Amino acid sequence: MATETLKQFHRLPQSTYVDALRFLPPLSAFDRYVVVASFNSDSDETSIEIHALNPSTPPILTLQSSFTLSSRISSLKVAQKSLQNPLIAASTFAGSLHVLFPNPIDVSFESEVSIPEKTLHLGPITCLDLQENGSACVSVGEDGRVNLISVGDSGLDYRRIFDSKGLVSYTASRWASPTEFATGGLGNSLQWWDQRRPGGPVSQFKGNWSQGAASGVVHSIDIHPSRKHTCLAGGSYGTVFAWDLRRPQQPIVLSGIDAGEPMSSSSISESEVWEVQYDTFMSASNRANISSERVLPVMICSEDGILAVIKQGCHLQS
Amino acid sequence: MPGLLTVYHPSGHDESSALVQFSSDSNTPIVYSLHHGLKSPIAPRLSISWSRGNSLRVSVFRSPETTETVLDEVEVGGKVVELKLSGEYVDSEINDAARWRRIAYGSVSPFAHLQNKKNAMAALSELRHSAPYDVDWSKYVLEYSKEINSLLGSRGSSPTSLIEDPKTVLENVEEPSSLKAAWELLEIFYADKQSQAWIPEQLVDWLADYDSLFSEQVPSVHLRLVEFQAELINIQAVEDEPAYWQAISSALAVGWLDIVVKLLRLHGSYQLNQLGNRETENGLVEAVAVLISKMPRMRAHLPDGKLGECYYNKSDFIKAWEKWRAQITKLDCSAFWLQCSHNHTRENLKLLLQIMLGNTGTLSSATFHWVELYIAHFLYISPFTSGLESMHALAQKCMQLKPTSSPHKLMRLIIGILGENTEVVLAECSRSFGSWMIAHATELLTAGSIQAEILLKEERHNLGGVSIEESHRLVYAQVLSSHALTWQIAPIYLISCVKHGVGLLEILLYKQPVYHSQVLLKNIEICRLYDLDSVSANAMKIAGVHHWKHGRNGAGVFWLQQAGDEVRLNRIAQKLFDFVGKSISDESFEQWEGLIELLGSESRTAAGLEFLHKYRDFKKSLQQVQDGILTDAARKAGEALILLMKNPSTPQRFWLPLLYDSLKLLNWQGRPLLNVSQTNLLLNKLQELSVARLRPDFVEVGMPAGALSSVRVALATNLGRAILEE
Repeated sequence: MATETLKQFHRLPQSTYVDALRFLPPLSAFDRYVVVASFNSDSDETSIEIHALNPSTPPILTLQSSFTLSSRISSLKVAQKSLQNPLIAASTFAGSLHVLFPNPIDVSFESEVSIPEKTLHLGPITCLDLQENGSACVSVGEDGRVNLISVGDSGLDYRRIFDSKGLVSYTASRWASPTEFATGGLGNSLQWWDQRRPGGPVSQFKGNWSQGAASGVVHSIDIHPSRKHTCLAGGSYGTVFAWDLRRPQQPIVLSGIDAGEPMSSSSISESEVWEVQYDTFMSASNRANISSERVLPVMICSEDGILAVIKQGCHLQS
Repeated sequence: MPGLLTVYHPSGHDESSALVQFSSDSNTPIVYSLHHGLKSPIAPRLSISWSRGNSLRVSVFRSPETTETVLDEVEVGGKVVELKLSGEYVDSEINDAARWRRIAYGSVSPFAHLQNKKNAMAALSELRHSAPYDVDWSKYVLEYSKEINSLLGSRGSSPTSLIEDPKTVLENVEEPSSLKAAWELLEIFYADKQSQAWIPEQLVDWLADYDSLFSEQVPSVHLRLVEFQAELINIQAVEDEPAYWQAISSALAVGWLDIVVKLLRLHGSYQLNQLGNRETENGLVEAVAVLISKMPRMRAHLPDGKLGECYYNKSDFIKAWEKWRAQITKLDCSAFWLQCSHNHTRENLKLLLQIMLGNTGTLSSATFHWVELYIAHFLYISPFTSGLESMHALAQKCMQLKPTSSPHKLMRLIIGILGENTEVVLAECSRSFGSWMIAHATELLTAGSIQAEILLKEERHNLGGVSIEESHRLVYAQVLSSHALTWQIAPIYLISCVKHGVGLLEILLYKQPVYHSQVLLKNIEICRLYDLDSVSANAMKIAGVHHWKHGRNGAGVFWLQQAGDEVRLNRIAQKLFDFVGKSISDESFEQWEGLIELLGSESRTAAGLEFLHKYRDFKKSLQQVQDGILTDAARKAGEALILLMKNPSTPQRFWLPLLYDSLKLLNWQGRPLLNVSQTNLLLNKLQELSVARLRPDFVEVGMPAGALSSVRVALATNLGRAILEE
């Protein structure tokens, strides 16, 4: 296994707790904006802030606008309707959901629509995901509910797709197509849902993990637009695995303590993997070189401060 | 509550009688208002306790009489409010919370790294039965010290513009912090063993960087230069101004040679139109400037832009030093002075020569506080001072010449170090620079000093059996633990404390609100790092019960399963079965599917819950039987039924519903599905159930009235058919 170390990176210390952050889709060729969910523990204030990123060395973040919320943010997503303004969706630990529309000129917050707490979920919303075009949003919670929120011009509308009444808790969600999405939960489990087949998950994945990995929690899911049959998930103990819908009982472990065959794979981190994402900067021709049997390169970030790119069989780390 | 803190005397002598002096602003009471939202009357009962961090938890109770009459459920007993007190780290300079956190987080990795090295070396020397570690160890300590030092701010100046402004004497540098100044002092004296011979020169550099810090309390050379620089723009002929010459002599006295030469070159005689008639004068100024820039320095190298000639070797240095002084004396006696017509220039240049020759009186008048005088002594009078004892004696002498009424904290630290008094150094560190400083500085103090090591590492009865070092680390860990953003780095310091560290770490972990899943996961991770399995199991139990109580059964079962808590899982199982008994027989199993999946294979701890798994399988096959007449499926269902009835974890209350559900199997057309012994088993169970009914704690399940008898009849029929078959 080859491990290379990334040379160039910058730390930008912030004075508040950063719960989540995303890039805003570029509004013009020159501006780059970052959306930050910040929490000030001294004043108990939560806000969604937009910072302009100045790509100097070291890069500088300049606060442009901020919007105050009443509870800490559990999940933050950004999307853009085709050629329209971007929108920011955030869910809170209190259970409310907010959708903000930043002004494309000066990125001030023009309007906000929200669903109050105790409506969608009882307790916190653990994760939400926006569709690529921003028209719909799926939210999941520890209470076992799965809600579908449609973002329209008139406001937000929601529909409960499933309610396990607390028997199953969901901790991650991700759209695969306009009608399909995946959710993840305790015990490194994954579920596949299809709106055309209501009533429950279409497919469930619960690999035959050994004791260690079975106690994991899925924190993040990603699905590549060109390979919708593979669901990538990251969770506790540095576990990163892919679930191929065509072979639902056999996970492809990219990193983690439970590799099945101990020599074939190894663990980058032993901590919580908070986010997994396919490496979208890889060019299409490069991607074509990787056979459809292999998993595309994956970027991860973990609790113990590791940023890494994992390719099946080797990894690059920072 | 000012009344508790100070006692007011009408005579106004309150200050003198107070044991601890409060700064004036802490005497003004801050009024916080409580928003408890309760309707009056409120009973005068309050309970006040500390919450996390700076929060005060105030519980406001309602009086018992009103409680009975008030029907509003929200305020039955009263209300608990948290009050966040403002207030920063008063005793330390790092009062900007974000900056302080950056230092706290940044120092974790050097500290942990050094502790690892220490443990590795200790293990190694035990193996070899020797302690060969001195050289390597001092290298590690220096590395550690440099890393921490770089955290505290950079020494580098801001980028200078390409065209240098001749009138900018002082470089614009970032405001130095006294924390960094103190750390560098400790590094010079304790960590940097290699450069021990050049301590005087290192102190010269140190003062050049941090003289501005003294300006807060006493006048200093730095302050004089700052003032002069402000005036400089308005001055036409600098050589006529006394301030110009004062600035030069002060800067020379403390060895800022580059500034001196730069200032000298501002002399009016350098101007082209003056050169003709002030040739001799200019020659003298230049001669002094050259002499200054050629000053021999006993050190390895000089940073860019600094002047002087370096001599690594002591004998070379002595030769150069003698030669240099001879040149000064020669210039002093030169006949050119008589030809210099400019009075100010002549006198002040002569004064500069006196400084370079080490005239005590001139040095004393050119400097402001004793540290500056001390440095001047190193430069011009006794450059060979070495050994803490003689340095201390010299410092005493300088202090007598320049006494200060209230010494600056850095001065006190210097005295403590020179006096070789570890206790004083420790006390100064903790008093002036806070718990962070002392927790990290002990590593420097003990490096290579057996005496300090004994003092710091000896277990003391009056400290509860811990050493001074450990007690300071514990204090620092407490500071870290008290803030939500820093508690997670406290374990690294706690684990380095042999005596009480682990105990306090357990307490810290128990105090975290584990029902937040992120805190729980962090907690589990810390426990895994330090092998605290029982603590993490308890945390998981707490989280499990919390989830359970809030209706998230799946999450509750999951965490209790992780904790291996069979007792609670069994309790949960009993509760779940109530639920199951009602819903499972008619409805689909969809909702339960996820939970059953979660329970996983039989090898895992599931206590009574594994019943659910089997029950689901049985239900599934029964479903198939009902869909069509398939003997094969029916046989499987029959087997599943027997398995369930045999299994001791199947709750008794399910026996009758199970049998009732399988009436169709018992009355199967064609041939009997159960053989004689199987039927007998079921009959026995039925008998057991009838007996159990007589017991007072029996729970009756809602079944149709004739259920029991129809099952009994079906079983009897089946028995008959089975006997016939055999």
